[in-house]
Amino acid sequence: MLRPWLRWCRWLRPGTARVLKENFGFRELASSVPPSGSTSPGALNIFDRGLKRKQKNWAALQPEPTRFDYLREEVGSQIADRVYDIARDFPLALDVGCGRGYIAQHLNKETIGKFFQTDIAENALKNSLETEIPTFSVLADEEFLPFQENTFDLVVSSLSLHWVNDLPRALEQIHYILKPDGVFVGAMFGGDTLYELRCSLQLAETEREGGFSPHVSPFTAVNDLGHLLGRAGFNTLTVDTDEIQVNYPGMFELMEDLQGMGESNCSWNRKALLHRDTMLAAAAVYREMYRNSDGSVPATYQIYHMIGWKYHDSQARPAERGSATVSFGELGKLNLTSQGKDSQ
Amino acid sequence: MSGNGAVWRRVRSRFRAFPEHLAACEAEAVAYGKCVQASTAPGGRLSKDLCAREFAALRSCFVTAAKKSLKGGS
Repeated sequence: MLRPWLRWCRWLRPGTARVLKENFGFRELASSVPPSGSTSPGALNIFDRGLKRKQKNWAALQPEPTRFDYLREEVGSQIADRVYDIARDFPLALDVGCGRGYIAQHLNKETIGKFFQTDIAENALKNSLETEIPTFSVLADEEFLPFQENTFDLVVSSLSLHWVNDLPRALEQIHYILKPDGVFVGAMFGGDTLYELRCSLQLAETEREGGFSPHVSPFTAVNDLGHLLGRAGFNTLTVDTDEIQVNYPGMFELMEDLQGMGESNCSWNRKALLHRDTMLAAAAVYREMYRNSDGSVPATYQIYHMIGWKYHDSQARPAERGSATVSFGELGKLNLTSQGKDSQ
Repeated sequence: MSGNGAVWRRVRSRFRAFPEHLAACEAEAVAYGKCVQASTAPGGRLSKDLCAREFAALRSCFVTAAKKSLKGGS
């Protein structure tokens, strides 16, 4: 079933319009098949993507859409800053997992010619934020991007890759759809995110029920992220971490905000029930172990920012071995000579 | 599938009152929290019902606060 706004788009591969895992239709590829084939060997299936879609749709329909947007707004503006830092303009850009389009609202027409926004939740795309750039919304899963090779000058992704099952494949797809000398600017949640919540729930569940099951989804480690980007074919990588600490009145408010953001747990191995006793115990433990001096409790969001380039001949390459003309040993002498010149 | 969402709203409104009831039981919550935190120190071992007494006190205080607000509210 084709969505109306996809029908005319000439950048789509034929036959891959509504790309969800349930679509067993033929994928006729006009260009070469992406390197990984159907799934990478050993791909994990950790997250229930259908449920994540329902959760994001539900969150997008909440009465006050801006109430839970603070984190995405902040990271969206940071990504827009990074895009501005690149001294180039991008005729065609893509936002993977855009939500309501938090990055597009900070960018201007001079930097980005046309903007494609994709998300798995149609309600989020319907309520997208105002932007001056001409935008096209595409309903697509991050792991099954329906675009041809060498299409986009810029791909951005803000806080949506942590729900992707096969992250290597998603990064490879992003690399595939980028033009040579195209750039990927992304942000995703990192290992230390919500460690206070994770620890409190773990301790409370152990004390109350005798064992514990994971309630906070697993995150990628920063070393692995670098390796994944390299494996996907990206050049000149930059990965840095940032920590945002948000203070909440208590654990219950934090959990409500996480649900409002569409960040509820959707792992296949999640426990269906969290007992009220366990929740009460966890709230007490959270307050005691982590509270601030003013009585609020902090929640840490660790964000990994990454930038990767698709190879192009014009990019700087490491020099040939043995082509050095000066040695490191001369560095010390270099400073003395310049100081001597200045004093003269 | 969920109809008009009345059940969800009712349950969620009860859940939204949890922080108030917890705030009314500050001392018991601190005692329970300290007990669990003590078990995380090196040499401590957290097992089921290690802090059962403190939790029982916390829970009874919480239930009292909830009943009071229910009576007072309705």
